[in-house]
Amino acid sequence: MVTARGLVHAYGERRAVDGVDLDLVPGERVALAGANGAGKSTLLRMLATLIRPKSGDLVVLGHEVPDHARAARTGIGYLAHDPLVYLDLTARQNLELYGDLYGVDGLDERILDLLDQVDLLARAEDTVRTFSRGMAQRLALARMLLHRPRLLLLDEPHASLDARGGALLDDQLEAARHDGRAAVIVTHEVERVARVSDRIVVLRGGRVVLDQRTDGLDPPAVRRLYEEAIA
Amino acid sequence: MRRRQLTALVRKDLRLELRTRETIVAMVLFAIVMLAILQFGFGTRDDDLTRFTGGLMWVTLAFTAVLGVGRSYVAEREQRVLDGLLVSPVPRVVLLGAKAIAIFLYMTAVEIIVIPLVGIFFVKGPYWDSIGWIAIAALLANLCIALSGTLFSGLALFTRARDLILPVLFLPALVPVVIAGAGATHAVVGGAHDMSEWRGYCLFLAAYAILFALVSIATYDAVFDD
Repeated sequence: MVTARGLVHAYGERRAVDGVDLDLVPGERVALAGANGAGKSTLLRMLATLIRPKSGDLVVLGHEVPDHARAARTGIGYLAHDPLVYLDLTARQNLELYGDLYGVDGLDERILDLLDQVDLLARAEDTVRTFSRGMAQRLALARMLLHRPRLLLLDEPHASLDARGGALLDDQLEAARHDGRAAVIVTHEVERVARVSDRIVVLRGGRVVLDQRTDGLDPPAVRRLYEEAIA
Repeated sequence: MRRRQLTALVRKDLRLELRTRETIVAMVLFAIVMLAILQFGFGTRDDDLTRFTGGLMWVTLAFTAVLGVGRSYVAEREQRVLDGLLVSPVPRVVLLGAKAIAIFLYMTAVEIIVIPLVGIFFVKGPYWDSIGWIAIAALLANLCIALSGTLFSGLALFTRARDLILPVLFLPALVPVVIAGAGATHAVVGGAHDMSEWRGYCLFLAAYAILFALVSIATYDAVFDD
């Protein structure tokens, strides 16, 4: 799903991501952890094809990035800090827009189904401006899932999702293991994400300092691994 | 697929504008105020401004275009939606085309009000029989404004001083449009009916639009992906 070799990205002189190698196979869910400024979000944005690596090789869903980024984007679902929806459009209009951008078939039914899943069906015709933060982020979850992506890239998803949205996301991540989707979850909540991930990758100063499978470990043990890695 | 994406993006911009009415209303009000200022500034002694009509109209429309183009990515920027568009498999040239169509429609809406007002404010003599010729020149000029404006607003989008950068980049690019638009208007206003001159200016506007279309297609990927 993802093969990264020697990825580098710099902001001016400072290397935010400094020679990262990462492999992701179908069904694998990786928790990407690290202190603030460790390079997690930058790495995630590179995987999402939003920023170009300054150097290194990156293949996402079988497509070389950045040269064939557009082909890779068809299979990427990206959940950011911001919901990435228009506040002055309704929930349905936002999903219609993204459905058309991704060329989703049977769009009307898909939208209704997803709005039902995220518990927003009754608010389908309301503008997002009237939504709470949690509701907007649930709509963002529906937006991310709309085109049935094979690679989920999530930037601290539990930080802004409400309980309903968090549970739905956990269900999706659990389902991903069985249906061959892969996920990268940037997180500070290592213990929580440990329950729905198979592996932890820890970044420090833009470099990978821990890359270990965590299936079989309980969440507190994963937490201890993480704390040792960033110490 | 591209047509579906283009239609969706244009529909999105029009829906946002219909709901918020922030861009077209601001452009129309700005243009009317500017026409009034020009009228008071130049026509205080009941002077005949007919021969300056083209210049006054196109200077007004150029500054109005800067205002409209400056607002073209406001929703994406302020509501932080741009990443959502960029992570989708939309060719960057489709993003360009959709924004250009929206700007074209905004300018056309403004001109539906401004062009008749220009006749009322500045012209002594025949005007209404030439309004169709002015409208054709305006549509061609709108193409130039939309294509160049989209390119420059895309460039300015990623800079910190975008409100300063955009006029600095965009206004010089509008100088040929103002010259040709004013020339085409002058050729048909106030009883003049120099169709040869009008045609020449219109051909220039068409060529300028094609030039910017080619430049935009060649560079727009780099604007968003680099």
